[in-house]
Amino acid sequence: MQQNRLLIILCFLITIPFFSQKRTQPTPEEISQATKLKQKFDKEDHVALLSSKDFVTFGYDKKNDKVTVTHKIIEEYINLDDRSDITIYWFYDGQSSIENIKVLYKSKKTAYLFFKDEAYNSDGLFHNDTRVKYAPLSFPLKGFKYTVKSEEKIKDIKYFTKIYFSGEYPIVKKEITVTIPDWLEMELKEMNFKGYNIKKEVKTDTKSDAKIYTYTANDIPAQFKEKNAPGPTYVYPHILFLAKSYTKNGVKKPLFKETQDLYNWYKSLVNQLKNDNSAFKDKVAELTKNASTDDQKIKNIFYWVQDNIRYIAFEDGIAGFKPDEASNVYTKKYGDCKGMANLTKQMLKEAGFDARLVWIGTKRIAYDYSLANLSVDNHMICALVKKDGEIIFLDGTEKYNPLGEYANRIQGKEALIENGDTFILKKVPEAKAIFNAEKITYDLTLKGEDLVGKVHKKYTGESRTYLLYVLNNLKNDKKEEALKLYLNKDNINLKVSNIKISDIKNREEDLKIDYDITIKNAVSSFDGEVYINIDLDKELETLELKDRNLDFVFSSKKDLESTTSLHIPDDYKISSTPNNLDVDTKNYKLSVHFEQKGNTIIYKKNFTIKNAKIEKADFENWNTSVNKLKKIYNEQIILNKK
Amino acid sequence: MKFKILLLAVLGFVFTTIAQSKEELAAKEFFWGKDDKYKNANEIPDKWKNESAVVIYKNINYDYHKFGKRVTYKNSIRKRIKLLDKNAVEEFSKFSFKNRFRSTKGLYTWRNKGKVFFAIKIVKPNGKEIAIDVDKEAIAQDDGNYKIAIANLEVGDIVDYYFYSVEPFKSPYEYIFDPVERTLSDEYPIMNFKLYLETENDFFINFKSINGAPKLKEIKTDKRNFRKYVLEASDIEKQDFPRWFYPLAEVPAIKMQTYFARSGKFENRATAFLPENEKIIKSNVSQNEILELYDTRFRPSGNIGDVKGFLKGKTFHSNEEKVIAVYYYMRHYYLTRFIEFMVVAKTQILDNAFYMPALIQNQKEFVRYFTLFLAKNKIPYNIVVGTKRYNGNIKDLLIEENVDLVVRVNTKNKVYASFFSPHTDINYISPYLEGTDIYLLSANKKGKMTEIKGGKLPSSSYKDNLSFKEYKLKLNDDFSEIKIDVKTKLKGYSKTSDQYDRMIFSDYVYEDYKKYDTKDFISLLKGYGLIIGKKKRQQTKQKLDAVITKLKGKQKKYFKEQTEAELSVGEKDIEDYTYKIEKTGRYGINTNFVFTEAFKLKNKYIKKAGPNYILEIGKFIGGQVKIKDKNRKRDANIYMTNPRSYDYKIILEIPEGYKVVGLDKLNKSVDNTTGAFISTAKVIENKLIIETSKQYKHNFEPKENWSKMLAFLDEANQFYNEKILLKKEK
Repeated sequence: MQQNRLLIILCFLITIPFFSQKRTQPTPEEISQATKLKQKFDKEDHVALLSSKDFVTFGYDKKNDKVTVTHKIIEEYINLDDRSDITIYWFYDGQSSIENIKVLYKSKKTAYLFFKDEAYNSDGLFHNDTRVKYAPLSFPLKGFKYTVKSEEKIKDIKYFTKIYFSGEYPIVKKEITVTIPDWLEMELKEMNFKGYNIKKEVKTDTKSDAKIYTYTANDIPAQFKEKNAPGPTYVYPHILFLAKSYTKNGVKKPLFKETQDLYNWYKSLVNQLKNDNSAFKDKVAELTKNASTDDQKIKNIFYWVQDNIRYIAFEDGIAGFKPDEASNVYTKKYGDCKGMANLTKQMLKEAGFDARLVWIGTKRIAYDYSLANLSVDNHMICALVKKDGEIIFLDGTEKYNPLGEYANRIQGKEALIENGDTFILKKVPEAKAIFNAEKITYDLTLKGEDLVGKVHKKYTGESRTYLLYVLNNLKNDKKEEALKLYLNKDNINLKVSNIKISDIKNREEDLKIDYDITIKNAVSSFDGEVYINIDLDKELETLELKDRNLDFVFSSKKDLESTTSLHIPDDYKISSTPNNLDVDTKNYKLSVHFEQKGNTIIYKKNFTIKNAKIEKADFENWNTSVNKLKKIYNEQIILNKK
Repeated sequence: MKFKILLLAVLGFVFTTIAQSKEELAAKEFFWGKDDKYKNANEIPDKWKNESAVVIYKNINYDYHKFGKRVTYKNSIRKRIKLLDKNAVEEFSKFSFKNRFRSTKGLYTWRNKGKVFFAIKIVKPNGKEIAIDVDKEAIAQDDGNYKIAIANLEVGDIVDYYFYSVEPFKSPYEYIFDPVERTLSDEYPIMNFKLYLETENDFFINFKSINGAPKLKEIKTDKRNFRKYVLEASDIEKQDFPRWFYPLAEVPAIKMQTYFARSGKFENRATAFLPENEKIIKSNVSQNEILELYDTRFRPSGNIGDVKGFLKGKTFHSNEEKVIAVYYYMRHYYLTRFIEFMVVAKTQILDNAFYMPALIQNQKEFVRYFTLFLAKNKIPYNIVVGTKRYNGNIKDLLIEENVDLVVRVNTKNKVYASFFSPHTDINYISPYLEGTDIYLLSANKKGKMTEIKGGKLPSSSYKDNLSFKEYKLKLNDDFSEIKIDVKTKLKGYSKTSDQYDRMIFSDYVYEDYKKYDTKDFISLLKGYGLIIGKKKRQQTKQKLDAVITKLKGKQKKYFKEQTEAELSVGEKDIEDYTYKIEKTGRYGINTNFVFTEAFKLKNKYIKKAGPNYILEIGKFIGGQVKIKDKNRKRDANIYMTNPRSYDYKIILEIPEGYKVVGLDKLNKSVDNTTGAFISTAKVIENKLIIETSKQYKHNFEPKENWSKMLAFLDEANQFYNEKILLKKEK
């Protein structure tokens, strides 16, 4: 019986015809090509595109009076490993569709894949209309090839913003062809082309008078999968499509010719709001009635929005651009950035202030408003214009954020501020690293083989905002335990007790934490000598930036001042301390000093990350500094009996 | 004509809408109607004011109704929760649910459509109720999934919500519902808890309250065929899950299972311990009932003709030897020889390759196959009926699915045979079963179970489950790196998970092929040369080899990551990493799974101390269990999987011109009834040799022994922190 069952299996296996994979076996040339490409590109690349061609054409939807876009892609994949299993996928939404997907073996026969089409749940967005079509694609041998074709149709040109030359896989030959009809005024803005040998050719189609732009580039590495990286618009070469106007039936209609056009469209969406503030009229009165100054009134409103409106974002169709009614956000107690900005604005207006909406691109986006394009911004905040003309920005999505302090992600970015039919452009002020200062003081005494003492920590700026957010969002019954865990770093050698913390509800004061500490196993005695490992925190120790291609970006500017005073018994003398370190560059300052005052060693660290980043050009110097720092951390303070 | 169809469609639509809303209204009435005693329950006791949230009322309902073959199963849950902090508000600010689903119960028909009604309201601190319009506010996702963001939710609010699921299905035969085993306690403390059970005739219920949970009480009803029960509890503290803990063994909980059987015939067929009749809630299963259920279910059967073939011409010194040989042969014949097929199918190396491997499907089938061999060879045996420790004692057995079966072969030395996975050894008994009380079933000559008696499974010792690592360390000239060779030997329960996690199919499948002279997949294809030609076979082999190469890449990554985790170092701290599996350890529970590794550890665990160096030698025994301050007191007994020991031998080549100082701290010994940590260190010639052994002596310790456990755990932790000084000789 068992033998029979096995026979059945084999019959199944052999009676299925294998037409589909005929003539798909890689040739020796293809295998050798794959080997060469593997050497050329990153060792982490499993497949490459031998060619990737984009064809962009434009049409006109008469019924809706919209310029449409067709974006055809033809990609030829080759496997660089012995075997690879990847997923091919396409995103689309209410404004676009994906059509005519075809996957072909190199024999030109169709590979029948099982495609799925699902709502795409993006982190941070509660609901959006993005969907994803995807299928697994297996390459059973090195040098195995597929050709994948697809067509993206976009209903309205304003949602078609850019094409990158690079992608998930390295590309041997990239070609982007854009055919611009004579009725469409469009600028192709070449971004980050420097360092890439991208050739451009422009032809005119004699029949239609359309201009055909062809960009070609060779050997483009895959986009890097590196954490803490700058946004892709800073790094990778791409074409930005600036659709300015179109002319149909002799009538010229603007698209986004200049920033004013972009503003006009945004403003037209805002103008659709009813702005019926009756829902929160009483609330505003309640929040402002006991406030003696304007500043106090503004704070009461701004902080109320921060504390009471949860961030829940719906990005479905036009809701991705149009703010929700302030009254809705107020009633629901949730909203996205636009909803929160609009509620802040309307509440402030209700209290008699001049408040405006602000469109802004966070630091993740490289562009400013010199470009009229929907990809310039991704965030909305509120601006308050004071009587003296001073503008203060208010971002309701930032929690525990004091009035007048700005998150790093918007600092220095250009803000597009509502101003009736026109707009105001203003940069969000930048703060220096010292503004986010984190100050730590250890006062320790050597007792036997333990270090015992007191710790004081003080957090300001964004170092404080972050901690306040975390602490306030912990479960009531877990707060104490979590704080203890944070302070003892889950290290059983650190015993933390007698914790005193300043008011975690107060976002305007520095956050202060004081506690007692006992440190075990930081001291070793051998042959009458005492070896002390004085550093508990070893900041930046693991931040050697090896094998990295992109700048390292921090969440905010950092400024750390850490001072450890170690009192040693009178019968000991200090025989050795590690060397000092002093480095000061454009982007960072690292300083470590050991000083002896009587029987006390003072160990001082000052680390400043001035611009919230380490640039690639700095990596060598940075790594040298980090290695010196590691050496210091690794060296012991040595005490001898007097 | 078109119009009529349209009209019918409209009528149909209206009809469904009304019918739906009727059910929906009934659900609403059931939970929030006039009989809702908790409608105005808004206060919480002072003792819980510092919690994140408090459940004012938790209500779970199971309703079983039928009409002939048609079953309507309803289950629902309501929670009324006071939110006391932002974390709780965040937790309850978003819900997702599937409002329609296809029942997988009973007969498969397109009409088995289940529905879920979800409703939620908020009660503001001033008592004002705000009903959420779920139909309006929920957003449809794919396949009947919805999600909803709850508006106007603030700290201090009460959320009151229910999920009410109605699942109709058709069952012409018997049907066994999934068992329910749950603690009464929850993530948040509960003020009031009620569980209702409603059944009609033909539904048989097993129910038991355990660990001090209140009993189920019958509620009198007027109808003869209709029964209702309630379990009420109050003042339930939130659940804490410390390390080494089995909630169902300690915490008040319920166990329940329901069976649908329309006639005696189906009652007899059900693989379940049914109550005598529907009016009785069954809470205990007697020895005899077990015998009665299993008497004819384990008649030796199956086709084991090939086992006969395997035995042909072979001689064995003893039956024990024979049993062992056959067990491993069956593991290969009914499992591992198909693994290559499965890989081929999964990776689609051959297009449309179907496979139907003749696998043994489950424990019961294994017992029938294996005992057939025993019966045919006149080797005496018993069938062991046991249950895993976390289910409680076998005497408290209630749910048939909690039964585990093992064959005990009564040879001179008893041999135990469990249903196998690719690496299961003979005499392997699940660690959750070892040492537990069991029942032993004995068969008559015809294979019918005629006798049942109590017994106990043997236990392993910590010595049997040994994880041994030998580290050879050599420092480079500038003390910036340590060259490391490691040999790992694992046996007993200590090898099981590593065998599965570390080996890929090619590591053991070909070993089995060789042992049993089995043809590999490609060779099997050869027999069908007319249809699969030589070229095709070659291509298939290439593709299979490519799969193996790919898997080996992943295997190397996994091995390296495990070592990084063991030594608490980062990816970049280890260089030039190589590994090799030396022995698979698949033929004998006491045989070792052995692998070796070699690598360089860069800038780790060596600290400069003037002209000398401090080496954090303790780190080489790997990260230790950390017991947080709050867990140093313990109220719950300690449940571990099995006794075990972790032994290390660390051999450091002392750099020329240096001597080792600080050996005294490396000699430790804490040894008590619960476990031990013992270490010795000595210098022999130019080598420092450290040997450590950490032993967990049992799989269970009463909570009173926690301090004894802490004693050796702390000692191991201290060793982990110990250092030596490499002192420059003058």
